[in-house]
Amino acid sequence: MRSDTTSYLFGLIGVVIVAAITATWLPTLGIASSALLFLLPVLLVAARGGLGPALMTAAFGALAYNFFLLPPRFTFRIHGFDNLVSLFVLFAVALVTSRLATALKARESEASHRATANAEIAQFSALLARGEASDAVVAAMKWLADGYGEARFLSQGTLPEEGNGFSTLDLSAAAWATHNGDITGHGSSVMPAADWTFVPLNPRRQSGTDLLAIARPVSGNTRDESGVLQLQGLARLLGQARDRIALDMERQARERLEDRDAFRRTLLASLAHDFRTPLTVVTGELAKLAHGDAGAANALAEAKRLDRMMNDLVGATRIESGALMPHTGAVDLVDVVSDAATSFDGQNPTLRLTQTVAADLPLVEADPVLLRHILTNLIDNATRHAISAVSIGAQDRDGSVILAVEDDGPGIPETDHGRIFERFSRIEGDDRSGGSGLGLAIAKGFADAMGMIISVEESGSGGARFCLVMPVRKIATP
Amino acid sequence: MTRILVVDDEPAIRRLLSGILERGGYQVELAENVREAISAVERSRIDAVLLDLGLPDRDGLEAISAIRTKHDVPIIVVTARDDTAEKIAALDLGADDYVTKPFDCDELLARLRSALRRSGKAGSADAVLTFGPVMLDTAHHRATCREEPVMLTPREFSVLATLMEAGGRILTHAAILERVWGKAHVGDIDYLRVVIRALRLKLEIDPSQPVLIRNEPGIGYRLMECPSSK
Repeated sequence: MRSDTTSYLFGLIGVVIVAAITATWLPTLGIASSALLFLLPVLLVAARGGLGPALMTAAFGALAYNFFLLPPRFTFRIHGFDNLVSLFVLFAVALVTSRLATALKARESEASHRATANAEIAQFSALLARGEASDAVVAAMKWLADGYGEARFLSQGTLPEEGNGFSTLDLSAAAWATHNGDITGHGSSVMPAADWTFVPLNPRRQSGTDLLAIARPVSGNTRDESGVLQLQGLARLLGQARDRIALDMERQARERLEDRDAFRRTLLASLAHDFRTPLTVVTGELAKLAHGDAGAANALAEAKRLDRMMNDLVGATRIESGALMPHTGAVDLVDVVSDAATSFDGQNPTLRLTQTVAADLPLVEADPVLLRHILTNLIDNATRHAISAVSIGAQDRDGSVILAVEDDGPGIPETDHGRIFERFSRIEGDDRSGGSGLGLAIAKGFADAMGMIISVEESGSGGARFCLVMPVRKIATP
Repeated sequence: MTRILVVDDEPAIRRLLSGILERGGYQVELAENVREAISAVERSRIDAVLLDLGLPDRDGLEAISAIRTKHDVPIIVVTARDDTAEKIAALDLGADDYVTKPFDCDELLARLRSALRRSGKAGSADAVLTFGPVMLDTAHHRATCREEPVMLTPREFSVLATLMEAGGRILTHAAILERVWGKAHVGDIDYLRVVIRALRLKLEIDPSQPVLIRNEPGIGYRLMECPSSK
């Protein structure tokens, strides 16, 4: 009650004025009207609010009325029932009016409070919407620190250690707020003895939430319920802003990655294309010399391998980009095996390359181009590790056809059987393989894309045997 | 003398092809782009075109249709792109064959010979077809391979005849299927695979390592010249 003293004074002065007026003109006014006039100061004071001043005014007014107006005048003696009635009316008016006035005042102040709070929320969201989102959050935090007390973010994964201005109680309050999504700490109903108030940023999130920690107001005052509620609203806005930032950053990162990926793919595709021109000239010119010249023949074989490596690189980007769409259909393994094997003709005269694919083998369901690439890579791998022989065979077994490429080289240690299909993996200590490290990974990638299983085992001669299991094509008869 | 037009924007490739072709006994004309290629075909007698698809001024595929609308000259596409769909498109537009860079020069010359054979025989529907060891008498529906009579079903006969008429040029799966089974069956590659298999069993010395009927994965079939059995 900020102006109680003034109200008392008002009451006194009002009563004195009324008393003076009525005492002077009593004969003209008459006793009834004069009595009514004494209601005026009581009403005015009561309307200003405050029961005390109103009652005091009523009492003082009653006294003055008694003293100045009621006969016997200028005495305080009361001798008549009507005097008591006027006293009672004055008190009743004082009580009711001041009650009404107080209620009205309270409602008014609540409304103005709410208006301030709303204005604050509006200001806060405007602040958050301004400029770069992350800068806006920093500005918003500063605004909170200015208006409410030191403000910090606590992320749920990394609740702070003791120290840093947090007591053990603060930390328990923070943990509670994180896991239950309640406001805790100073000013709240959970652990109010803490020095900080912890406000959840995303209270409805199941997995726990990040927190806004606000220190006790610098003024040393306690934070009241409305202040805490206001903080809750502000924290929710802050949480939304932070979510937006996180989403934005995620999207940007994804876009950057996609851009880079697309760039790399086009770069590789055009590189592969550009590579082929010089490679064509090199192989073409070498081929003219290769008849009867072992050196030129060797160079030619290597140039052809360079082309295979380029194909592998393009294949690898196709796998990685997820742009691999196998066009499967009926494929005759005789076709694919003879086509792939032909490209190795005369490549290494010391190696024997045998094909044992029965001409009556069932047709398989595959993408012929991918299958040829797989087979080329398996043969390439085998020729690089074989000592004297590479064999390509196929058998049908239980509704599948198993294609096997086998060499008589040193084989692959059992422990490496899983790793061999990873990109850039080569067997340790094996520096003569000379592959790009991509060939088998691509074979696996293409096989996966067609839903086929590729595996490696030890061959009868102790070398490696790569097996590709393909589904048999159920054919329509012509 | 047979004149071959080489269309490629890369000087090194032009030099390489000129060398190969001249040693093969051909006369070579050069063009760097589609415009030059078309004017060369219009201006002088050209017997075959080796056409790169990646040309600077216009898409190579456009060049095929541009030449095809007016001339029946054999076109062999020389492409650096390992793109099955593009090769099929080139063949559908009227290219006779293709080679992929880096190519084998023997292979290139073989393709060229096949393409030139086609144009030499254009219009003459021979009753008796021969290719390598195989001879087909279409009028009497008789086939021999290495002088031995071979029994062929009508489908087998007609697939073989189609391949032999192409004379070593590639035919797309769809083209063979359309010719033998009809338009409704261009997608039924299973039919073709089964017939090719049967043909190989009857014609190839080792059907599991065929040398006569060769498949280009994802594209089609061709007959191969086999030097050993000539």
